[in-house]
Amino acid sequence: MSSNYCDGVDRRQFLKVGAVGGLSMAEVLRLQKACANGAEQKDLNCIFMFIVGGMPQQDMWDLKPDAPSGIRGDFDPIDTAVSGIQIGDVLPQISKVTDKFAILRSLTHGDSDHGRGIHTMMTGQKAGVGDFNGRTNNNQHPCIGSMVAKLGRPGGLPPYISVPNFQASGGPSFLGPSYGPFVIDADPAAPEFAVRDITLPASVTVDQSQRRRAALRELNRFERRVEEVSGQVKALDGFYEKAYKLMTSQKAKEAFDIDRESEATRERYGMTSIGQCSLLARRLVEAGCRFVSIENGHWDTHRRNTWSLRELLCPSFDQAIPVLLNDLEDRGLLESTLVVVTTEFGRTPRINDLAGRDHWPNAFSILMAGGGVRGGQVIGATDKHAAEVTDRPITPQDMTATILNTMGIDHKTIVHTPLGRPIHLVDDGRPVHELFG
Amino acid sequence: MVSLATLALLVSWSPAVSSGVQEAPIRDAASLIVSPSKIVIEGSNRRQQILVTALTATDRRFDVTHLAEFEFINTDVARIDDAIVFGIVDGDTELLVRHSGLTARVSVEVSDISQYPPVNFQNDVIPLLSKLGCNSGGCHGKQSGQNGFKLSVFGFDARSDYDSLVREGRGRRVFPGDPARSLLLLKATGLKPHGGGQRTAPDSQEIELLNAWIEQGMPWGEEEAPRLENIQVEPTDRVLDMQSQQQIVVTAVYSDGSHRDVTSATTYTSNSDVVANVDAGGRVQTGTAPGEAAITVNYMGAVGAVRVIVPRSSMADQFFDPTVNNQIDALVWAKLKKLGVAPSELADDATYLRRVFLHAIGTLPSPDEVLTFLSDRSVDKRQGIVEAVLQREEYSEYWGLKFSDILMVNEKKLGARGAYEFDSWLRDQFRTNRPYDEWVRELITATGNSGKYGPVNFYRAMRTPEDLTKSISQAFLGIRMDCAQCHHHPFEKWGQADFYGMTGFFGGVQRKSLNSGRELIYYGSYSPAMMPLTGDVVETRPPGGIAPENLEAGDPRVHLAQWMTSSENPYFARLIVNRIWKHFLGRGLIEPEDDFRSTNPATNEPLLDFLADQLIRKEYDLKAVMRIIMNSRVYQLSSKPNDTNFEDEQNYSHFLVERIPAEVLLDSVSQVTSSPERFAGMPHGTRAIQLWDNRMPSYFLDTFGRSERLSACECGKSGEPTMAQALHLMNAPEIDDKISDPNGRVAGLVAAGLTQDEIVRELCLASLSRLPNEKEIQVASELFAQATPEQAAGDFLWSLLNSYDFLFVR
Repeated sequence: MSSNYCDGVDRRQFLKVGAVGGLSMAEVLRLQKACANGAEQKDLNCIFMFIVGGMPQQDMWDLKPDAPSGIRGDFDPIDTAVSGIQIGDVLPQISKVTDKFAILRSLTHGDSDHGRGIHTMMTGQKAGVGDFNGRTNNNQHPCIGSMVAKLGRPGGLPPYISVPNFQASGGPSFLGPSYGPFVIDADPAAPEFAVRDITLPASVTVDQSQRRRAALRELNRFERRVEEVSGQVKALDGFYEKAYKLMTSQKAKEAFDIDRESEATRERYGMTSIGQCSLLARRLVEAGCRFVSIENGHWDTHRRNTWSLRELLCPSFDQAIPVLLNDLEDRGLLESTLVVVTTEFGRTPRINDLAGRDHWPNAFSILMAGGGVRGGQVIGATDKHAAEVTDRPITPQDMTATILNTMGIDHKTIVHTPLGRPIHLVDDGRPVHELFG
Repeated sequence: MVSLATLALLVSWSPAVSSGVQEAPIRDAASLIVSPSKIVIEGSNRRQQILVTALTATDRRFDVTHLAEFEFINTDVARIDDAIVFGIVDGDTELLVRHSGLTARVSVEVSDISQYPPVNFQNDVIPLLSKLGCNSGGCHGKQSGQNGFKLSVFGFDARSDYDSLVREGRGRRVFPGDPARSLLLLKATGLKPHGGGQRTAPDSQEIELLNAWIEQGMPWGEEEAPRLENIQVEPTDRVLDMQSQQQIVVTAVYSDGSHRDVTSATTYTSNSDVVANVDAGGRVQTGTAPGEAAITVNYMGAVGAVRVIVPRSSMADQFFDPTVNNQIDALVWAKLKKLGVAPSELADDATYLRRVFLHAIGTLPSPDEVLTFLSDRSVDKRQGIVEAVLQREEYSEYWGLKFSDILMVNEKKLGARGAYEFDSWLRDQFRTNRPYDEWVRELITATGNSGKYGPVNFYRAMRTPEDLTKSISQAFLGIRMDCAQCHHHPFEKWGQADFYGMTGFFGGVQRKSLNSGRELIYYGSYSPAMMPLTGDVVETRPPGGIAPENLEAGDPRVHLAQWMTSSENPYFARLIVNRIWKHFLGRGLIEPEDDFRSTNPATNEPLLDFLADQLIRKEYDLKAVMRIIMNSRVYQLSSKPNDTNFEDEQNYSHFLVERIPAEVLLDSVSQVTSSPERFAGMPHGTRAIQLWDNRMPSYFLDTFGRSERLSACECGKSGEPTMAQALHLMNAPEIDDKISDPNGRVAGLVAAGLTQDEIVRELCLASLSRLPNEKEIQVASELFAQATPEQAAGDFLWSLLNSYDFLFVR
């Protein structure tokens, strides 16, 4: 059992660190300041869309029309809403809203394995030894969503929600299960979509449920200190309260109920996984969730890259993103909601014998919008084949630091590993300040 | 460990504290003891911390270092500042120490005062870099360094640190022409902007030392210079009043037998700041909370500890029940007396029965078992039930599962066959109650086909000598060697020689792929480890042990296994009894249960010694230790705290309430509802504690935190609550289906025509292992008044399954 000094900084550990000598006075002051700032945190949210498989930079965001055909690919650059910024012609709808987001063309890290790349991009920490390709919690470091769950401002919903699935490397690691994602575990595009366990089982009536809860409250009424002394009982009691609130708050429960959107709105986002996940994400941040993680898969185009992008992948993506950004803006949520469209790595410049592109972590592109990000800009540059970064390399650490700082969380906050080793949330990352200028 | 949260409770509840800050009681000193008894200052930078202890007539010691008055006979020779003596000129004098009318005299010798002694980089500069935090993992000790300046973490590689300071940075870091302009000094004092801020004042002794080192031309120091052997810490144990102080004195002992006061160059860490915190000068300050604290003392990798006990001010003699069932009670009571804390009452029979069942065999007692036990009139029925439970079949299932968690039986890594074989083998060890040392030796030395012989799979989960070293030392010895792979352990004696010394035992382990994903594990030829930085061959030896001879002949793992499981080994028996103790009492004598360090002492060392000794005497019969624990009064205490012990979490003055672990909870829900869980591919009726595959799809087990089996500890298993748990228990259709199972308990009770009272009684017996109390009867009658008996019974069972009395072992 421990007590928080301010959000997430355990005072005992804090003092301990100071005494060990790992922290300078300046750092102590900075931490205290970070804590003080925490009190003024605004309700900032993040929609974190992860394109699983590896998003091809040359075909979508960083086109190289002058490269040889075996590299250039089949897509042509098109002009967009912002003069001077071109993207691939496979993204006609997105080309109309380039003023709303920034393209970061110079992401780079060294891991060309999916699981390891995902770990790096989900946590801001390079994966160590181990297997990262399972779907269970394999985090060696807390993912960004868990960091936000621990250190962000609480809202009316679970702070970190993952849709449609538990995402690889989307776990809390040593921060503990309390900071893990609330997993929707169903695709909102499915006709029978429902969120597990937040509504009563079909056989239980509302009256019956109220009787049950009244009975339970009576049974759990604390007696003489026993429960008060146990941290576990108190913590579970707190979660029961939150669960009650979720179940009984019309607003909270409705947030999960995507059927409350008009058919027209749902169609506008697209009746696709990425479309409905985006719509659900908007509903969730609106109702007070801080971090919604969306997973969109099947982008690992080792074969038939052009066909896959054109026929399978880009249409729904191209439809959902502009609608999401516009919708957030119309509702006044874009300023307070950082939207990140990210991936584990890019794809090889050279098109392979199966008309596909393979894994390429040396240079790739991601998008950021909202949350104060100045849209209509491109940050970083790559060489003539979009193979290597030539300007302004941005690491996963930098990206993580940027997201945390945008959400009012100091990325240098110290947390402790199970071995008691004090480490920063993000090591060696610097926020990409140009995004906000 | 007493946390701030409990401090807050203390403030609101305890009259002793709410009346205001307590003053340390005035005690009459009968005599004064000054340490050291003779002060020797050799060299301009030397100093001596004084420790003044007052002794009462009843032999109670208390620190008056910072209350005493000091006077030198000859004030030209030496001066004293804040109880630290400095030399002025060469000569002899005497120091008079006065307190409460008493005077003590100490001789003082000052010599070589005109010169700063030759600075030795390793002996003098490195400890200073550690003390100032320069080489910590968050700063320049980071793998990548900080802003281009890199030091080895905690100074494990002095040679490269020397090069960093002296050779790199284009000579700007140190500037012998004008030492004061060296970046090293300017940054450390904050005179130049420094990301790490000001680490020390420009006129501090640290800067004086760095300045002298640069002035002397940055010597590496003589290779033959005396090496630090160990440190002496004074005092090592103290009972302190609340809001009082205790000075610590740390003396370094060198290989030539010389001594030096290093109090101010040492780093101090308290494991409980609420009870006692400590400043950089080694001055301990207690707070307003009673309890214990261990102060870690670290000088250049030599570590020591000071244990502090702060008793409650109001003694609890009147509550004290001296009855003992066995030696456990005597040892716990002795500790509680010291703390002024009284134990709780004994738990009632039903609570005790439920505890024994859940802890020993991971199973709830059935209603019949509860009633039989409650109606048993024999005086030794508690001993009787312990014996009976330890003979149950579920014992091996539950303890096999526990060790499958610790030893990472992970289907993903081992394949189904390997995981199944390993899991079955572990359960067999418990089924036959095989002596623990025997099966661990077999595991450590295992060779064979992974599809036929379970224990070799340990060598498949851990595939490198480094991983084996870490896992085996943590799982069986409670030594965390992870740190020592790269640098000296910051809080322990382990260094790289210990780490790579141990990896040498595994260098010859070979793996050969067989068909269908199996492997043959065998021992090839002996292959010692090399030190990563230097490439030097490291002597193969157990950590802290001596190198066995004839390692080339046969399988050297035999030597390691012998050393590990020897009754002389200070870790082996102590770790397993600490695990067992934690399993039953909710908190290890050492926490985390597998982190044994001199700087992480047990809360009750004699008790840990006693339990380890029992295990060895009983020839590593684990059941024997469980038996003595379950029969102790300490284990039988109620979880209901009293006025003296409600803030105690570590001395076993009351039982610690704990959530039932994931697998046992799922089994319990199934048992209470009489609606067995179905697991894919497993026979009907398989229990969760019987699963060999921790990846068996189960939302319940995932949500309630079954072990991830990713590292050699129980840390992947979590009892930490989440909102998803609450939602699942309340709303999951799976749980609802169990409650309303037409073949389930509710349906059965209603069909049998039982009355409302009988149904309520049966449901409470099944879920809470006791008869219903008035509150439950009242709650049930309200439910039965509003619905059909079947629905009301279901509603009542739903409430019981969500109640804390069900979810927790109490």
